[in-house]
Order: sequence, then C-alpha cells, then structure tokens
Amino acid sequence: MTTVEISPTARVTPRLAPRSPRQRRLSALIGQHTLCFVISVGFFALPILYIAMQAFKPYTTFLRNPTGLPSSWSGANFSDAWQQGNFARELGNSLLYSLVPDFITLLLGVFLAFPISRGYFRYSNALYAFFVFSGFLPGGLIPLFIEAKSLHLYNHRLGYLILTSLAGAGFFFFVGYIKGIPRELDEAAAIDGCGYVRFIFFIIIPQMKPALATFGVFGFIAAWNNLILPLVMLSDESLWPVTRGLYGFFGEHTQNWPLIAAGTVIVAAPILLLFILLQRYLVEGVAGGAVAGSQSVTAAPRQLP
Amino acid sequence: MATCPFGTSRSRRYIPWLSISIPAAGWLIFGLYPSIATIFYSFTQYSGVPGTPLNVCGLCNYHNAFTKLLPDVGQSLKVTIIYVIGVTIGQNVVALLLALLLKRRGRLFTFYRALIFMPQIFSVAVVGAIFSLLLDPYSGPIEKVVHSVFGINSAFLGSSSAALPLVMAINVWMFTGYSMLIYIAGLRQIPSEVYEAASLDGAGRFRAFRHVTWPLLASSTTVNVFLTAMGTLGEYALILVLTNGNFGTRTLGMYMFTSAFGSATGQLGYGSMLAVLQFGLTLIIGGSLLYFLRRREVSL
Repeated sequence: MTTVEISPTARVTPRLAPRSPRQRRLSALIGQHTLCFVISVGFFALPILYIAMQAFKPYTTFLRNPTGLPSSWSGANFSDAWQQGNFARELGNSLLYSLVPDFITLLLGVFLAFPISRGYFRYSNALYAFFVFSGFLPGGLIPLFIEAKSLHLYNHRLGYLILTSLAGAGFFFFVGYIKGIPRELDEAAAIDGCGYVRFIFFIIIPQMKPALATFGVFGFIAAWNNLILPLVMLSDESLWPVTRGLYGFFGEHTQNWPLIAAGTVIVAAPILLLFILLQRYLVEGVAGGAVAGSQSVTAAPRQLP
Repeated sequence: MATCPFGTSRSRRYIPWLSISIPAAGWLIFGLYPSIATIFYSFTQYSGVPGTPLNVCGLCNYHNAFTKLLPDVGQSLKVTIIYVIGVTIGQNVVALLLALLLKRRGRLFTFYRALIFMPQIFSVAVVGAIFSLLLDPYSGPIEKVVHSVFGINSAFLGSSSAALPLVMAINVWMFTGYSMLIYIAGLRQIPSEVYEAASLDGAGRFRAFRHVTWPLLASSTTVNVFLTAMGTLGEYALILVLTNGNFGTRTLGMYMFTSAFGSATGQLGYGSMLAVLQFGLTLIIGGSLLYFLRRREVSL
C-alpha cells in the first residue's frame, strides 16, 4: 500500500542495494578490515617495507629512480654492506652485550628479590620502597662515564659487560611476583635439608618461568637496541655493537641510500625475526601485564641510562 | 620480620645478606652512585680528561644557565615542554583511536595490533635510518608526495620549522603501539552490560563513549599519560639519530648529551647541571600529572 506513494527514483534504489542485515554486517566488516589494514600496514609496516625494498636496488638505479620499485632485484648491497660495515663482528658483539647482561641481571634480580619479598630483613618494606624510589633519581650517564674511565671499564669489552650487568642489578620487579609463590614451599624444603642456593635454582626459578621469560625477552631487546651507552662507553670500532655500527655506517655513507638500507635491514632482521617468533606472546604479554599493574615491562629497559 | 629457614642456626642469619650482597653492591656502584653523583658533578667544571682537576666551582653552572647561557637553556626548556606535551597528547589520542578500532579478538586483529606494536622493537638507530631516507629532501618518497600535492619544498628534518613536529610524529609512530595495548586492556575490562544499559537508555555511540567508555577508562589513561610523559622527558636517542639536536629539536636531554659527549673535551659539569635541571622538570611534571590524574579518576 505504500508503493503507491513511492517516487520512481526511490523504487530503483532498493533494487540497487538489496541489503539484508546480514549483507550489511558483511560490508561493514569488510570496511572495518580495510581501514585496519590500511592503518596497520600502510602507516606502521610500510616504512620498514620501503627501506627493505630500497636495499635491493643497485646504486645507479637508485640515482635514476629513487622512489620506485627496483627494476632488477640485486643482493649486491647486502654483501657490500656486510663487508664494509663489519656487521658480522658487530652482530657477535651485540649478541654478547645482550645475552650476558640479560642473564646476569635476571639471576641477580632473583637473589635480590627473594629475601626482600620474604621479609628476612628488619626493614624489608623500607628497602623495597627505597629501590622503587631510586628509579626516579636523575639519570647518571655522566658520572657513570667518569666512573667507567677511572675503573678502566671504559672502551673495554669485559668492562662494558660488567658495567651493563651490574647497572641493571637493582631489579626489584620480582619482589611482587615472588610473594605469590607460597611460603610453605620454603619451610618444606628447608625441613628436608635443601640449601638456600639449591632452593632458589630448583624451586623458585622454575616457578618464575613466565616472569623470567617476559623480562628476559624485553631485557634482551632493550640491550640489543641500546645506542647511547655504546656511543659513550666504546670508542674502539672493534668493540661496537650493531646499533653503534649502523649509526657510524650511516654517517659514513650519506646519500648511498641502498647501501644504508641494506645495513639497516641487516641490523633490524634478527630483532624482527625474534618478534615474529614471539609476537603473540610479546604483544598480549604487554596487554596482560598492564592490567596487573606491572608497567615494569617498559620501565625495565629504561633502567639503563 | 621472618627468619630465613635455610642453613644451620648460625648461617641462616647471614644467608639473606649474602644473597643480596652482589646485586645490591652492583646497584649501589653503577646505579645509585651515578644518579646522586650527578648532583655533585653539577657543582664542578670537570672536563673528563684524565689528570685534569675537578674545579669545584659551587653554583657556577647554575649561574651561567640563568645568565649568559639563558637563551640556550630557555630554548631547550621550551623545546622539551613542547615535545613532552605534544608527544603525550598525540600518542594518547592516536593510541585511543587505534584501541577503539582494534580492541576486538580474532586473528586478523592480532595481526594488526602486532604491526602497530612492531616499530618499538627496533633500535632508534634503525628507526633513524628509515625516516632519514623517507624524509630525505632529494631522494625520499615523502618529498615527492608533498611536492606534487602541496607544491612546496621542505627540507623536512633539516628545516627549523618542520623538524620538531616531524621528530614528535616519529616518536608517536614508534611508541603508540604500547599505549594502544594498555588502552585495549582497559577497554576489555569494561563489562558489556554497561553498554547495554546505555543503549537501552538511548545513548548513541558518541554518548556511550563520552559517558561510559571515557570515565571507565580513567585508570588506563592515567597510566598511559604518566608513562608517556615520563618516557618522553628522558628520551633523546631518537632526536640524536634524526637531527642530532639541530633545527630547534634540542631538548634538555639532548643538550645534556651534546655538551657532555658532543666534542672531544666534554663539559661534564655543565652537562650534569642540565641533567639536574631535567630531573627537576621530571619531578614537577610527574608530580603534578599524578596529582591531577588521580583527582580526575576520583571525580569521574
């Protein structure tokens, strides 16, 4: 009965877009995914893809056509960058500078946090508050530099490892976590004659696997990515990690963008691989940790100056 | 106070102390001492060259900062404040919009979130190289686009009007994924019944956001704003790789770094003074942020 009143144009429209609720939902879904895809790939991944693409261009092609796709894909930039930038040696250094301090910091962190969280000291709570508060003190990069020079840790591979391992030792984030491990375990183990060190290694550390894994991965990434500390503490090229190496490489080869792009890809690749492997765990781990109130995951890497 | 159950009746008294001795010593020597010594060195004119005297000079650095070097220090202070406010607001707005868009579960959404989170796993050295190429005025793609669309030429990171906003935008690009994840975690904690009640009361999308989402998200906002502001105040590595502190991007942190390590003979005393000033700024901004954000949480 309403059809009588409908104008000719209005009669056409429903035939052009015959939208059932289901179809409308589908097109909204497609629209939403397109938007999400454009944002996440177009804004957040494209810069990285772009530089990776440039790395496959010969320099002469780049000069003729700096922004387009490579006409012939060549891996020559990678081998040139690999040799000229000494990236093999630097990757080794980076691995050393990231793994050793990460491992030592976490281990020392457990030994620091356990007695404090169990309240074995008269002023355990005050001690804990003090550690937390000290995180807000001014960054001590300049005195650390002076100290490193006078202790002969400056420009020295072992010295750098000692410095980075111990500078992160005030790691108190485990205190809260260990409080969640039942105290009854301590007493049962002690009655059975288990020693302190053995208890930490065989009971506490296995209980802490999730926390150790999270902080371990984030600590590794933070140490690997650190540029300021190697810039200040290591003047000798043979001691440089990849970040410092890339920074120098960048200054050396200005305008040879394909070569710089190749160096950048070499430096970014190991971390990108780690991210792809642990992506779900890292991303959802941050979200979970944020709710629990331990924003420590990002606070931790900022511990080092 | 609890007693340690491990060891013999004699050893259990010192086992806890042994346990914390190495980490505590390391932290005292390489963590706490450098922090506090910054204040001491700020009263000297030390150059860092071995064998040269410390030259304790009292408040000379502070005096210089507020008299003959006031233009430099004031400029840095201004840049720092613009940088912190701009990045904190920008990062939180972008992160909240992304969170609203990407809060849903599902494989594809996990993939989108991972891509947005990804930039911050890279070193500033990598990010610096990427954006120096993208923004290169001769061979970068962004120049091409800007030139053909707006018909203007810009030196981008080499221009004193564009460098600071660009560095801020790159900072947001790099770290917004983390704030987004915190917002998403907060959004997921809001029970769906509240939204149902709101829509029964006739609230549209915007009113639901204004009167349900925004107030219930207050604790996530507090965390995000505080963390972003504090993180940005201390950040200068990104500025170092992008502009080296030139073209109006010299924040206090960057100024500290260049005066202490920018040349062969560093002004370590002057740099320490700048670090102390930055610490003061951190205290003021951090303290007032916590105060206002907490009060806001209560009143919402």
